[in-house]
Amino acid sequence: MNDMETENKENTLPIVEIVEGGPLKITGKIIYRDLKRDTSGTPAELKICLCGRTQNGPFCDDSHDDAK
Amino acid sequence: METNDDGYPKGRKYKNGEITVYWKPGACVHASYCYRELIEVFDPGRRPWVDMSGSTTDRIIDVVNMCPTEALTWKWNDDEKNKDISVDQTNHVIFRRPELLKPEESNEEIRPVSVKVMPDGPIVMKGDFTFQYNGIKKKVKEGILSICRCGASKQMPFCDGAHRKIGYEDK
Repeated sequence: MNDMETENKENTLPIVEIVEGGPLKITGKIIYRDLKRDTSGTPAELKICLCGRTQNGPFCDDSHDDAK
Repeated sequence: METNDDGYPKGRKYKNGEITVYWKPGACVHASYCYRELIEVFDPGRRPWVDMSGSTTDRIIDVVNMCPTEALTWKWNDDEKNKDISVDQTNHVIFRRPELLKPEESNEEIRPVSVKVMPDGPIVMKGDFTFQYNGIKKKVKEGILSICRCGASKQMPFCDGAHRKIGYEDK
């Protein structure tokens, strides 16, 4: 029972993932803040641009595909 | 926190008449609050980089408390005043509130991960989360992760402070 509970908890932990050749992707329970644009929120998913090509910073707009 | 025999954090110390600020370079994730908020005191381009005469004690405390790591911490010089506060309480207040301040609830529900886009700097995640990168999957507990957005880091994908050197501007 305890093992199962532990596993369930792990499964619902927020996930921070660096997508190869793509953005930083965060899923799960998030408290988000952009200190330069002074925006915030609690989205279920976030994709943050790491390549610098986005036209919608700080978010990814799939512009990294253009380099391929 | 690693401490000296006297219980104070290891690293360099900077004093004014009221407080001592401790600097632990290895813990810095380059969130850049210190010099953005108070360049008069915290100037990475100056040696020594901390000048305690640059502002008031209250303001220095405010900015040190913004540091998301243990890189910058502070204590009262008058040890009597420190008795009311633990080392933990003297710092990290802004990042830990309110969702991260309640570890006793951690068994009840998953706490949200704090995600902060730093001005012209990295993206900083704080809290409990799973980190996946390059086939590696790592569970992070009450951790801090600072990821490069400027592209100039020499320790990719992690921020090493290079955004300041190249004058990175988040557009």
